[in-house]
Amino acid sequence: MLRSEPGVRESRAWRLTLGEGVQAAVSERELVHLVETPALLTVPTCPYFCQWVLVWHERLLPTIDLAAWLQGAPMVNGDRTLAGIVAYQSAPDAMPDYGALLLTKIPERLRVTDDLACALPEHPSGWRELAWSCFRQGEAALPILDLPHLFSGGLLNC
Amino acid sequence: MKTLPSMPTANLDQPRVLVTLDDRHWLLPQTEAYSLESLLDIDSDVQSTHSLGALALAGQWWPVYSLSGELALSATLPESRRLCLLLDNGADRFGLAADRVEMLKSAPTPFPLPACMAMPGSPVQALVQLETGLGYVTDTERLAAWLTAQMEDADNAEV
Repeated sequence: MLRSEPGVRESRAWRLTLGEGVQAAVSERELVHLVETPALLTVPTCPYFCQWVLVWHERLLPTIDLAAWLQGAPMVNGDRTLAGIVAYQSAPDAMPDYGALLLTKIPERLRVTDDLACALPEHPSGWRELAWSCFRQGEAALPILDLPHLFSGGLLNC
Repeated sequence: MKTLPSMPTANLDQPRVLVTLDDRHWLLPQTEAYSLESLLDIDSDVQSTHSLGALALAGQWWPVYSLSGELALSATLPESRRLCLLLDNGADRFGLAADRVEMLKSAPTPFPLPACMAMPGSPVQALVQLETGLGYVTDTERLAAWLTAQMEDADNAEV
């Protein structure tokens, strides 16, 4: 956490492009690695938005396509040339868990201050399931992803 | 698809048999692999619903099913199928047409299926990294429940 002006807390975040016109953010510490042209291994009988794993540091990471989940169907012409490896804690003091998110652009680093907080976008309607907060960046509202919820199966019953 | 009750946690470290269906690798407990039989021995006149026929062994008829590598139930036998693995866990008993069946000499470390991938009713318990690709760990109980759900879906689609 940084401080830019007295009384204004400043944080750093990553802007993630999940698909065409679909952007979200995670905190600076949550994005730990970027994989170009990820080799995705398909797992049958899994949900359409999370049917792959990615081998990373001898782990098999679940890989989520949030743009597909938001549109409610698999991406037909998906151009997912990147995977962002994210770290999250499922409980305070727990060891970090890892997962991957499919991306279409290299993430951008942002500075965020508390006074930029805003409401979640109304469209697509699924943001409430994916994000726990949101901030304004220029004209756009960037939802902050709730990674523990996403990777603990929170999207399976939506 | 109906939502199936969750299965009890099973021992993931037990010895496994590797079953190849198309280009997919499925791992089942060796203790549940009853025998390997020829597909030529399937009697197609003894049919239970959606099976290819049945095999007579040990005084019982064993229904034999054809599943794709992604576990889609099929009424036909793909050309690559070479043999029939009979599975028996004491409660469920059936045959599965397979391309190859191998006993694994060493058990790879299984990774439990991540929570975000665990669809209700999915037979996949865990994943393993094999030299030939990814392997999907399951067992006879889960496969039987999956088959039942597939058959119910097929019946409902016909109505």
